[in-house]
Amino acid sequence: MMLSFVVNEAMRDLRRAGKVGLAAILLIALSLTALGGFWLLSLNLGRAIDQWGDRVRVIAYLKDEPPAGKLEELLQRIEAVGGIQRLRYVSKTEALRALKRSLGSQADVAEQLPRNPLPASVEVTPDAAIATPEGTRALVGRLTTLPEVEEVQGGSQWVDGLAQFRRLFQGVGLVIGAVLAVAAILTVTTATTLVLHLRRDEMEIMRLVGATEHVIRAPRLVQGMAQGLVAAIVALATLEIAYALAVPRLEPLLPVTLGLERVTFLSPVQALALIGTGTMLGALGGFLARGRTPA
Amino acid sequence: MIRLQHVSMVFGAGPSRVAALSDVSFHIAKGEFVVLTGASGAGKTTLLRLLYRAESPSEGDIDVAGFDVAALRRSEIPRLRRSIGIVFQDAKLLAGRTVFENVAFVLRVLGTARRDITPKAFAALKAVGLSARAQAYPHQLSQGEAQRASLARAIVKSPGLLLADEPTGNLDEEMASEILGLVKDIWSRGTTVLFATHQARLVPQLKRRTLKLEGGRLVKDEG
Repeated sequence: MMLSFVVNEAMRDLRRAGKVGLAAILLIALSLTALGGFWLLSLNLGRAIDQWGDRVRVIAYLKDEPPAGKLEELLQRIEAVGGIQRLRYVSKTEALRALKRSLGSQADVAEQLPRNPLPASVEVTPDAAIATPEGTRALVGRLTTLPEVEEVQGGSQWVDGLAQFRRLFQGVGLVIGAVLAVAAILTVTTATTLVLHLRRDEMEIMRLVGATEHVIRAPRLVQGMAQGLVAAIVALATLEIAYALAVPRLEPLLPVTLGLERVTFLSPVQALALIGTGTMLGALGGFLARGRTPA
Repeated sequence: MIRLQHVSMVFGAGPSRVAALSDVSFHIAKGEFVVLTGASGAGKTTLLRLLYRAESPSEGDIDVAGFDVAALRRSEIPRLRRSIGIVFQDAKLLAGRTVFENVAFVLRVLGTARRDITPKAFAALKAVGLSARAQAYPHQLSQGEAQRASLARAIVKSPGLLLADEPTGNLDEEMASEILGLVKDIWSRGTTVLFATHQARLVPQLKRRTLKLEGGRLVKDEG
């Protein structure tokens, strides 16, 4: 009974808030759309970074092609430097074959070479645990000390750059979202305070007849929560529509730019978190609203 | 039901200090009908506000329906007020709600079971002779009807004590007598009544114990 009273009063108050109440809903929706949009982009950037992180390779070019009997021993010594997930030996012949493949129709240029100039090499895939710029740098250093190794190339600096961009992106998203969230809370507070002003007679009667402060204040919390909930649903719908419109245009570009096959939307849990955030923002605005001092 | 001992109430300090009540003591037994009289500004409203703890006394002890009112914590005030019905000079009806909704509002706020609200609200309206106007809005009521609706709202929760703060102050003689009759009916059903009025002509009609305040002091307790 008390719950239905609180909900009914909250809905009545929401109708009374009119345009200010609507403005509060729109501001929360805007802040959540911004937050959700940055979150969505950040999630997909993160996926790209993870994928590229998996593809970090270090190539150790060898001074000489090892004789067949010594190859296994060399690979074992390389593996012994630590932090290595996989090794693949690429012979001089194999390297030349790969070059011809990449040259395509121009492959006959390679045929003109008097001898195969390409060195044998070992492709090293670092352990996931050390696939960071620092870890990769240390691995390169260790590989360089091996006497059979001429030169070591590779690293993950650009992946790190992408990760830094993602962190910056998340920071900007959080700042914009926070500014909009504060504006939204203030608007909900204003809307609720306006309603409290309109219903001051009711609150006076409620206090005089013996209603507890919880019962008197609960409708404003529920009003704020309702505004936040509606706003979150609006924000989620906006993001879904934007996603549906943008994805067909973006997806052809993704494999060649970020290396992603497709863009993913927020998971159900993430969508629920967004709705929860909206509801909390609204509740906070309602909680902060100040009515007349009780008699 | 009500016991005041050496109660004083002072507003402000220094040159702006005003003593609204000075050393007031009296006792009202359960089931009594007591008239509180005095000119405007004598301290009647302040005294009533102390009884339902809208104000705290500067000095003295107040006991209402077993509550040590002066010592009540803020969270305990609702319990005190649930045992008191209050009517004012202005009916204080909620403009956007019908007479029935105004009365039922009290029950809804106090968490009364849904099935009990309608019968209780209609019983209260019947007690003040306003059943036929249940669906009217406050602006459609005469002053007498509005005050009757206010009485129905005060008694719908079956309080043990009714505090009436000048409920006839805005009414003509006929309407005032009508309201007085209703208050007497409520009292006759066992409710203790403290009826404040500055209208000296009403006091003889009531033929009840009368407390008179002058300048915040209790100068008469007779009847």
